[in-house]
Amino acid sequence: MKVDVQLTINGQPAQFRVEPTERLVDTLRERAGLTGTKEGCGVGECGACSVLLDGKLVSSCLVLTVAAHGCRVDTVEGLARDGRLNDLQRAFIEEGAVQCGYCTPGMLMAAEYLLGRYARPTTEQIRQAISGNLCRCTGYRKIVSAIRKTARQRAARRTGR
Amino acid sequence: MIDYLRLSQLDDVLEMLWAEGPGILMLAGGTDILVRPQPFAGARILLDISRVEQLRDIAVDPADDCLVIGAAATHEEVAWHPQVSRRAQLLAQACRLVGSAQIRNLGTLGGNLGNASPAADSVPALACLDAEVVLSGRNKQRRLPVLEFFTGPGSSVRQPDEVISSLRLPRQRGRQVSFFLKAGQRRGMCCSKASVAFRARSHSDGRLSGVRVALGAVAPTVVRVPEAEQVLEGRRIEPRLIDEAAAACSRAARPIDDIRSTAEYRKAVVGALLTDGLFRLGDKMKQRRRPRRRRPR
Ligand SMILES: Cc1cc2nc3c(=O)[nH]c(=O)nc-3n(C[C@H](O)[C@H](O)[C@H](O)COP(=O)(O)OP(=O)(O)OC[C@H]3O[C@@H](n4cnc5c(N)ncnc54)[C@H](O)[C@@H]3O)c2cc1C
Ligand code: FES
Ligand code: FES
Repeated sequence: MKVDVQLTINGQPAQFRVEPTERLVDTLRERAGLTGTKEGCGVGECGACSVLLDGKLVSSCLVLTVAAHGCRVDTVEGLARDGRLNDLQRAFIEEGAVQCGYCTPGMLMAAEYLLGRYARPTTEQIRQAISGNLCRCTGYRKIVSAIRKTARQRAARRTGR
Repeated sequence: MIDYLRLSQLDDVLEMLWAEGPGILMLAGGTDILVRPQPFAGARILLDISRVEQLRDIAVDPADDCLVIGAAATHEEVAWHPQVSRRAQLLAQACRLVGSAQIRNLGTLGGNLGNASPAADSVPALACLDAEVVLSGRNKQRRLPVLEFFTGPGSSVRQPDEVISSLRLPRQRGRQVSFFLKAGQRRGMCCSKASVAFRARSHSDGRLSGVRVALGAVAPTVVRVPEAEQVLEGRRIEPRLIDEAAAACSRAARPIDDIRSTAEYRKAVVGALLTDGLFRLGDKMKQRRRPRRRRPR
């Protein structure tokens, strides 16, 4: 039997009628048209489908849409404001942290999750934070520097320097 | 065709299990269920227990001073809970090593047990902490030592009308030392090929008592290794004993060859993990024992 599900996606209320077995990654991509979130492995191992569910980083290929009822879902599409990429996204470009780009949305969400919890993460914490996200192109170092750079910039902005 | 039902009261869950038991598939974090080849085969009702508050509490029971961890608490919640860090550091450590943040924010202790994989990382830690599993049904409840819950890979003593409601960890007396180590394909995101949990009380003279050693992923279920425990009981950590205890672990391992690893590798690696953990622990304890110079008043 189909089930009514209400979500708040990137701040906007949304409603879907779905089979109990539908995965959140499919609802986002196929119904909400938010194709930023990628499916890589479909079994929780690559992190390409990472989104924030009520503020917590999860693999959307492992979440049933019905189970997310009433939750906030934040995807990569929510990072840009008024058509302008956010500082983290710009840092990824500036540092050359994007090649094919398939892992990028998941990496960005994992990085935002980290930065939301630690204002000044160590390099080890950054590496830990993206340990659930596979990248086949960049070799990770540029991704780590982009995240480190953003952390520094945000800390500087907070202290007003 | 499967129906979905989300309940928020434990009593309602028990009522539902009693009425529909065998047709029910309980869903907690879904991180095991959704990666199965046929996730919903054979089930009529998908019962979502992830929002039952009574199953998520982590608190000390004043009646017997046990730390009670609700089965639907996620690995991330368990890993960073102050009471768990204070009283069951070993479990916090094991939960922090589960998968990645994406997995730990979804996966639960109850699901880790319910899936009954011999590679479940929380289980060796729980075994070393003398934890009991609480199984609840309508008008019934039973407690059993965590390792008695499992009967083989993927199977347990749970009846279709029972839910794993919590884990009870008794208070440990004295200064505790412990470690959990696992070997896998890569550091993030991976199921153990072999894991070792160790806990003991450490006395001021460096001797250990109440030694517990448990191994994951090297037998059909998680196992304790009494032979290794006896080697260290009442003794100080020293290289000869480490070798003996490690050999006992390798002997106790009854691994299978599978997609993740060969039996031979697993036998060798559990011994190496214990050796590594004990050497590091021994060093740490020695540093602590070295008399400190008194500060002048
Ligand atoms: C990419 C990836 C990496 C992983 N890495 C690790 C790892 O490093 N270490 C590790 O140990 N595991 C790992 N796992 C496995 C999994 O995440 C854990 O076993 C997790 O604890 C399962 O919990 P869950 O709530 O998601 O279970 P679910 O999938 O919801 O349920 C699993 C089973 O338990 C049953 N169940 C759930 N809750 C209860 C309950 N309260 N009472 C009775 N039955 C119940 C369900 O019906 C089902 O049969 C990994 C999984 C993935 C996909
Ligand atoms: S697609 Fe979800 S983790 Fe790979
Ligand atoms: S940029 Fe190609 S996978 Fe990361």
